[in-house]
Amino acid sequence: MSDSQKYGRRRWVVLGVGLLFLTCSWALGLRPAGLVPPDATHWERTGSFFAAALNPAFEYEDDNVPDDADPIWWKGLKGLFLTLKFAFGAMSMAVPAALVLGFFGSSAWWPEPCRPGVKAVLRAVYLGCRFLMSFLRSIHELIWALLILSAIGVSPLAGMIALALPFSGTLGKVFSELIDEETREAGVALKAIGHRPVQTFLVGIFPAALPNLVTYSFYRFECALRSSAVLGFVGIETIGLYIELSHEEFYYREVWTYLYLLLALIVIVDLWGAGIRRRLNTDTGGCRA
Amino acid sequence: MSSAYTLDGVTCRFGNLVAIDEVSLSVEEGEQVAFIGPSGSGKTTLIRLLNTMRLADEGEVSVLGQDARQLGVRSLREARARIATIPQHLGLVPNLSVLQNVILGKGGVRGTLRSVRDLLVPARGDFERIHSILDRVGIEEKLYQRTSSLSGGQQQRVAIARALFQEPEVLLADEPVSAVDPARARDTVELLVELSREHGFTLCVSLHHLELALEFFPRIVGLRSGRVMLDGNPSDLDASRLEELYDLSEEEMMEDA
Repeated sequence: MSDSQKYGRRRWVVLGVGLLFLTCSWALGLRPAGLVPPDATHWERTGSFFAAALNPAFEYEDDNVPDDADPIWWKGLKGLFLTLKFAFGAMSMAVPAALVLGFFGSSAWWPEPCRPGVKAVLRAVYLGCRFLMSFLRSIHELIWALLILSAIGVSPLAGMIALALPFSGTLGKVFSELIDEETREAGVALKAIGHRPVQTFLVGIFPAALPNLVTYSFYRFECALRSSAVLGFVGIETIGLYIELSHEEFYYREVWTYLYLLLALIVIVDLWGAGIRRRLNTDTGGCRA
Repeated sequence: MSSAYTLDGVTCRFGNLVAIDEVSLSVEEGEQVAFIGPSGSGKTTLIRLLNTMRLADEGEVSVLGQDARQLGVRSLREARARIATIPQHLGLVPNLSVLQNVILGKGGVRGTLRSVRDLLVPARGDFERIHSILDRVGIEEKLYQRTSSLSGGQQQRVAIARALFQEPEVLLADEPVSAVDPARARDTVELLVELSREHGFTLCVSLHHLELALEFFPRIVGLRSGRVMLDGNPSDLDASRLEELYDLSEEEMMEDA
C-alpha cells in the first residue's frame, strides 16, 4: 500500500468517527446549552457544591446528629476502612481465580509440538475460559451487586462477591494476555530442553510475567477501592453510602470531606504500589546474597 | 563413532513456504559444525528440527539414535534433556537472577517440583557447580544479579552457562552472535568451540558470519533456500562457491524487496 493510499484511508476513518459522534449526539438530543444549569435553584446548588470543595466539613452539617456520635472524620475513616476491607476481600478472591483463568486462558505453556488430540482439548478449555472471562466482566459490579443482593440479601459477603466476579474476569483476561505476549521466548527455550508444560509455566513463564502481573493487580486494587465505594449506592456500608446519604440531604461539605478522605486513600495505595514495583525492579531480582 | 544426527530427505514447510527442502546430512558425535547461509536460508528451522521442537513434514530425522517422529511425550522430553539449545534471543527469564536461570538448565531431568524448589532454595552442590561454570564463562561475580540488568554479551554467557549446567550431549546455538559487536562475537564462538572440545559434546551453530565459521569450525554446511549447497572442511571448500552462496542470495533478497 502506498503512503497516499494509507493517508487516504486514515482520512476516511477520522471522518467516519466524527460522523458517528454527530449522529449519536443528534439521536440523544445533546445540546451544548445542556451543560448550563437551567434555572436559579440549580445555579445555586451548583455554586454551593463547588464552594463546599474549598470548605469541607469538620463537624456534621446535620443538627440532629446526637452529641455522643462519632466525629465526622472518625466516621469517614471507618467508612474508608470498610471500603478497604471490601476491596481487599474482593481482590483476595479475584487474584487467585484470575491466575487459574489466566493459566487456562493462555497458550504459551502448551506442549510443542502438540498432538492434534491434545491440542483440541487445550483449545476447548482455552476458549471456554475466554468465554467465562468475557461473561464475568461484561456485567458491571453494580449489576452483579443488584443480582446477588436480591438473591442473598444485604451482607458483606454479597458485596465482596459482587466485586470479585467481574474483577476475576478482567484480571484473568489481562493476565492471560500478559502471559502470552511477553513470555514466549523463555517458555520455548525451557520446553526445548525438556521442561514439562506446567513446569515451563511455573518456573519460566510465570516468573517472567510476575512484575507485570503485580503492577496490573495494584492498578485493579485501586479500581476495586473505587468500585467498593460505589457499592454504597446500593446500600452496602462503605464510604459511598455516607456520600450518598449526605448528598441526598444537600450536605455538600460533608460529601467533600468523604471525597478527600477517599482521594487520600487512593494516593496512599498508589504510592505503596509504586514502592513494590521499585522493589521488583531492583537488580537482585528478589534474590538476596 | 556413532551419529548424533542423521537427516534423510527431510522437508519442512510453513504453509506454502518450503523452509527445509529434502535435506540429507549426518552429524557425528563430538563434531563441531557451523551452518552458514543468509537469513531465510533455513538455519533456524534446521536447529528446531535438531532439538525436536519441530517435526519433519517429510523424511526422517534421527536424534541421538532415535527416530524423532516415533518418540512419545516422555521419551521426547528425555531426548530434549540431553540436548542444550541456545535460541537466538537466548530465552532467559529476564527478572530471575543469573543463578536461577542457570539452575533451570537441569529442569528437563529434575521435573516440576524440584525445579520450583531450585528457584527458591538452590542446593549447596548446585550452587558450587554453577559458581565454577560462571567462572569458566567469565561472569562469576554476576551470580545474584538480575539477568535483565546484564549487557547483551553477559546475558549470552548466562545462556551458555545454563547449557553447560545441563551437561548436554549436544549443544545447539541459533545465531549466537547476532546481537553482539564483532569482537565479542569472535570470543563467543571461540568459547563455544573450546567448551565443545573440553566437554566432548557435539556442537551445531548457525552463523551469519562466514569468517567466524571458517576460522573456528572443522566442518561447514552451507544452506540456501532450505537446501544444502556445500558441506565440508573449510580448507576443501572452493572460495568461489562460498561467495556464490551469499552473492546469489543477496540478489534474491533484492528481488524479494
